[in-house]
Amino acid sequence: MENLVFEGFKFMALGMGTVFSFLILMIGAMNLQSYIIHKFFPDPAPLSGAGKAENKNAKIAAITAAVMHHNNAKS
Amino acid sequence: MKFLTIKFLLLALLAFAAFASPEAEPVHEAASSHKDETYKAQSMGEMIQGFAKSTGIYAILYPDPNELSSHGEQMSDFHKSWGRVLMILVTFLLFYLAIAKGYEPLLLLPIAFGGLLANIPVANIAGVHGFLGVIYNMGLANEMFPILIFMGVGAMTDFGPLLSNPKTALLGGAAQFGIFGTLVGAVALSQYTNIFDFTLQQASAISIIGGADGPTSIFIATKLAPELLGAIAVASYSYMALVPIIQPPIMRALTTQKERKIKMVTRRHVSRLEKLVFPIMVLSLAIMILPASTPLIGAFMFGNFLKESGVVERLNDTLQNSLINIVTIFLGLGVGSKLAADQFLVVDTLAILILGLLAFSAGTASGVIMAKIMNLFPGEKINPLIGSAGVSAVPMAARVSNKVGIEFDRSNMLLMHAMGPNVAGVIGSAVAAGVMISIFG
Repeated sequence: MENLVFEGFKFMALGMGTVFSFLILMIGAMNLQSYIIHKFFPDPAPLSGAGKAENKNAKIAAITAAVMHHNNAKS
Repeated sequence: MKFLTIKFLLLALLAFAAFASPEAEPVHEAASSHKDETYKAQSMGEMIQGFAKSTGIYAILYPDPNELSSHGEQMSDFHKSWGRVLMILVTFLLFYLAIAKGYEPLLLLPIAFGGLLANIPVANIAGVHGFLGVIYNMGLANEMFPILIFMGVGAMTDFGPLLSNPKTALLGGAAQFGIFGTLVGAVALSQYTNIFDFTLQQASAISIIGGADGPTSIFIATKLAPELLGAIAVASYSYMALVPIIQPPIMRALTTQKERKIKMVTRRHVSRLEKLVFPIMVLSLAIMILPASTPLIGAFMFGNFLKESGVVERLNDTLQNSLINIVTIFLGLGVGSKLAADQFLVVDTLAILILGLLAFSAGTASGVIMAKIMNLFPGEKINPLIGSAGVSAVPMAARVSNKVGIEFDRSNMLLMHAMGPNVAGVIGSAVAAGVMISIFG
């Protein structure tokens, strides 16, 4: 009968090797992905925040104009 | 018109009877010989005696020599009688652990109740035609339920902490050493002792307990060693519940006071696009390197992708709640059917419980040691306490890291840092499972 323990060690080498190479590749891919995304597709979160503020200002301006118009119309 | 209908009905009936009779005949004969015995005119005394012989008490005291196990194999008298009583008591113990101690009640309760039902004499609930047997064949024998659970787990997982600190994924890899270390232990045990005789398949199925991932353990066990499924699932879920007891002593023993107080820098913000791309990226890697792992990783990433897409809230909600709950009930009952005395009360079970504990401890230790090794390199230091979270057991293991960290420094919040290796551990054990599947084909 062949030595099963030796077989077990072979499994361990192959298994741990695969797990680590997979995860190392994954880490590399994650870093690359984060680099690409931050460079070419920056998070729109702060932009949208600014956009919202602008929107708000525009809305306030519109409302002010409407109220002014209303008041002017009344008088 | 009426006559026509009746005629037609009669014809159909006759045709059916003619059709059915040749098939039904052998059954009928077998049944009639049986009926001859029971349908003889009996005196009241005989009837009562006959009934008494069909009670559970009689079946346990005087086991039927012709009774076969749910696999159609011969069983010893012990497994038909007192073994069943013993197993029913064991399920009571599992009830106690699940309810009073809160050990993974969501799975342990269905498993234990399934075990209780599987050990009932005469009724043969775990047999091929019993409802537990039907559940088992419906989704466990073909590895369907663990995959469905994986989808739900994927929908519940947030990869943000891992994405913000990618290198912590290595900790999740190191913890898989528990799996392969135990594999060597299991084959050594069968090589050098005469009590145990595990094949390589069985040894692999046992060692996957070290992955600390319930669905993965069940997936591999049903694929490689279905005869050990009951013990493997019970060991896996019990040890996962025992993570807060098993891990802290190992973590304390392997770290110094100074290391435990290491503070990790605040994590960076992770954009939505990164989270959305991640599942596809990991799945692509799996496709290229280890397609054998894609059933698990694919299901996992499917759930996660639905969640991160943000446009299918209803499906995401179903995966996270209704689907995973329904499947958990079936999975638990199906696994419980393997707690039948003839399959659980064997010496192998003892070895599985011991090896499982060993696998868990080895995984914890190697995660911590890996963190210490990484600290030898220049760069941002890692608190070794989060290494133990590399054994999956989401989110229990990460909470344990946090708890031990707080013990030594009240202001040191490690939970989010520990979630990184924690979810990487899930991927790591799925990869390890893929390696085993690819070896045994």
